[in-house]
Amino acid sequence: MWAYIIRRLIAVPFMLFGLSALLFWLLYLRPGNAALTNFGLVSPDQTKDAVANLEKDLGLDRPAVVQYFDWAGHALTGDLGESLKNRRSISGQIGERLPNTVEIAVLTILITAAIGIPVGILSAIRPGSWLDYSLRVVTIAGISIPSFWVATLLLILPVIWWGWTPLHQNYVNFTTDPLENLRIVIWPALVLAVSSAAYVARIVRSSMLETLYSDYVRTARAKGLRERVVIIQHVFRSSLVTLLTVIGLQFGAVLGGSVIAEQIFAIPGIGLLTYQAVFNVDYTLVLGVTMVFALMFVLINLAVDILYTFVDPRIRY
Amino acid sequence: MTQATATSFPLDHEYVPPRRRLGGLRRFVTREPLGTIGAVVVLLMIFGAIAAPILHTTNPKAFSADVLSSPSWDHWFGTTREGKDVWSRVLYGGRVSLKIGLSTVVISVLGGTLLALVSGYLGGIVDFVLGRITDVLVALPAILFALTLRTSIGQDVPDVPGMSQGEILLVIAICVVFTPVIFRIMRGAVLEQRNAVYVEAARVVGASELRIMFRHLLPNLAGLMIVITSTTLPAAILTESALSFLGVGVEIGTPSWGADLSGNARQFFVDAPWIAIFPGLALSLTVLAFNLLGDSLRDTLDPRLRNKR
Repeated sequence: MWAYIIRRLIAVPFMLFGLSALLFWLLYLRPGNAALTNFGLVSPDQTKDAVANLEKDLGLDRPAVVQYFDWAGHALTGDLGESLKNRRSISGQIGERLPNTVEIAVLTILITAAIGIPVGILSAIRPGSWLDYSLRVVTIAGISIPSFWVATLLLILPVIWWGWTPLHQNYVNFTTDPLENLRIVIWPALVLAVSSAAYVARIVRSSMLETLYSDYVRTARAKGLRERVVIIQHVFRSSLVTLLTVIGLQFGAVLGGSVIAEQIFAIPGIGLLTYQAVFNVDYTLVLGVTMVFALMFVLINLAVDILYTFVDPRIRY
Repeated sequence: MTQATATSFPLDHEYVPPRRRLGGLRRFVTREPLGTIGAVVVLLMIFGAIAAPILHTTNPKAFSADVLSSPSWDHWFGTTREGKDVWSRVLYGGRVSLKIGLSTVVISVLGGTLLALVSGYLGGIVDFVLGRITDVLVALPAILFALTLRTSIGQDVPDVPGMSQGEILLVIAICVVFTPVIFRIMRGAVLEQRNAVYVEAARVVGASELRIMFRHLLPNLAGLMIVITSTTLPAAILTESALSFLGVGVEIGTPSWGADLSGNARQFFVDAPWIAIFPGLALSLTVLAFNLLGDSLRDTLDPRLRNKR
């Protein structure tokens, strides 16, 4: 098992190296890109000289490989360079905003588990019943409705009906005022949890159905265990491995969804930062933020794979 | 059935068994009512998109003085703040969604399967390299990767008839994100089949590797390909609309369900909720219909996958 964990840990830097090289190549090496995006520094009728000067200033005149390894070397020490637009430290901006995004992601996953798991179990207890059927329709609708539409409806319908809006103009940090903060972040978390919970419920249902009719479940019933014990301790427990994988994947989906949710609900997290970076064509910032997202995603998947061995002792790597 | 055949047509080689296509369809309709509803809605959406010009629509990009009017006989779904007819935009938006959804799915399913065949069957260095590239490409949440790709690939895109630059860029971005995922699933299936008896038999009679891959393995992957197509299509449509919603999708002004829900239009949603409700409803219904259909197809075509996903 330790050999496996070490092997996986060794793979992580290679993956990040590959991804960063790919993104670097995509973002940086289109000629004139970074220089031309800095319109603020170059007049509209920019001369070749101005562009060349700016490129020299930003170090873009050096060979691509040199640029990349310069960037990567700094990135390893936690320095992701500075934003092209406002010359602020990218690591600083991410550090400021990362906690807000992580908070929403964790909250979303908690809501997802709290709703998705019971719904899935309810659905699986009596497969084919009207309850199962209607829950299946609800969950398939849940994974079909795009989060940005749910968020949009959440913003307009309460205003029309009750003149109340869940949108807060001023974001409050958790450390400043935990209660007020929760009142703000609960909405994007709920919106993102709709599809995640529906997805988790579907997985729980199908993986429980796989074991519901197996021999050991029949044995458990035969020896007179209460139905609740059979369902929870025998059937549900066996689907924990699948559930873990899915929740890990949902974490990634939620991180991706944060770009949309944070933009709609005006939450200053790294999702919104990504959105702004893309719109300002701020390539260094896009690269930095994307790599932070990738690092989180890769580490979560790694953690899930390692957790397997604890949840399911049969799995030995 | 066999008995009846035996008695009424003894040794009759002319006998052609009745075609069972419609029988299969009838069985699908009775066994999968939800899938049937999905199929009907999908067909309606496709019809609406194709027949848009004759379905009480006006030019979806045309401005008019009739701004922010609520749904009426002239404007079934009301008008936007620029006086554009929402009903027309929903139908023409369906064209964009279906066009992008279908082209990404065809490219990424065919591409992913082809790569999986080569990689899974031949193995070796090809398999290793493709596997590592896949590891890198799936190391980012899909929507983020598509967003980064869509903004970084830019200037020189090939011309494709019937598609605008923005649409081509969307197709490329979504394909790059989806192909590795499909590749992984298909590669697993290829590995499963590689040592099957029928492959061995083909090898024994001297079939070439290419022949085994395309004449023997590929047909056995067809069912899985259909299932993956039906589950990837709604995902592709959702990704397109999300990117358009974020403002990096189709060109400004092009009717698109995602784009129509974003931007400056948002400040008019409370006063004119029909601008927000109808495109979102069309998008959700389409994706829901495809998902219902895909679910039923999976149950029908691939019983092994019945309890997966």
